[in-house]
Amino acid sequence: MKTQIEFTRSTIAPPATAFSSSEIGACLEFSGIVRELENGKKIPGLYYEAYEPMARAELDKIFNELGGKHSCEEVLFVHRLDFVPVGETSLFVRICSRHRQEGLNFMGELINRLKADVPIWKKSEK
Amino acid sequence: MKITILTFAQTRTQLGFAEKAVDYKPEETPREILRRVAPQFDPGKTIRVAVNQEYADWDRAVGQATELALIPPVSGG
Repeated sequence: MKTQIEFTRSTIAPPATAFSSSEIGACLEFSGIVRELENGKKIPGLYYEAYEPMARAELDKIFNELGGKHSCEEVLFVHRLDFVPVGETSLFVRICSRHRQEGLNFMGELINRLKADVPIWKKSEK
Repeated sequence: MKITILTFAQTRTQLGFAEKAVDYKPEETPREILRRVAPQFDPGKTIRVAVNQEYADWDRAVGQATELALIPPVSGG
């Protein structure tokens, strides 16, 4: 499985798809967008921070674990750091697999694990 | 020997530093090291600890380590 993890302080521009295998039959993309209301209060955006070396290590661990259960060919994970304005993408994930079900399962579990274990934090004020 | 304590999100505000290098002994636990540095701080049940970038047990000796990080509940995405 080919994996790529990126943290960026700029607008996320997902790279064009360049499939590593002609056996890829499903490609899923997930974007997490910053919403205007945080706990019922209007905000201009969110600030993100990460413990980046550990976040990378945790993501690698999660990718390996999920790859053993739901075979996928490619995973691209991009997370923004610092200030992300309302309406912009804070998280982008692309998963490519031979069949749709593996990719759908991988994606669902990855997002849940991200929100439980990967050391990334958001807050509404710096 | 020195270990660097790293703080993130609300733990940085609570402890008042982003990182601090402190003396430690390998047989000490993360809880003991932290208690020496910030006696008033209680990680409770929600703040996890990582040793050398892996989740660890608050009450298990750190052994040979260079980093001890406080991990408040995460909220990426």
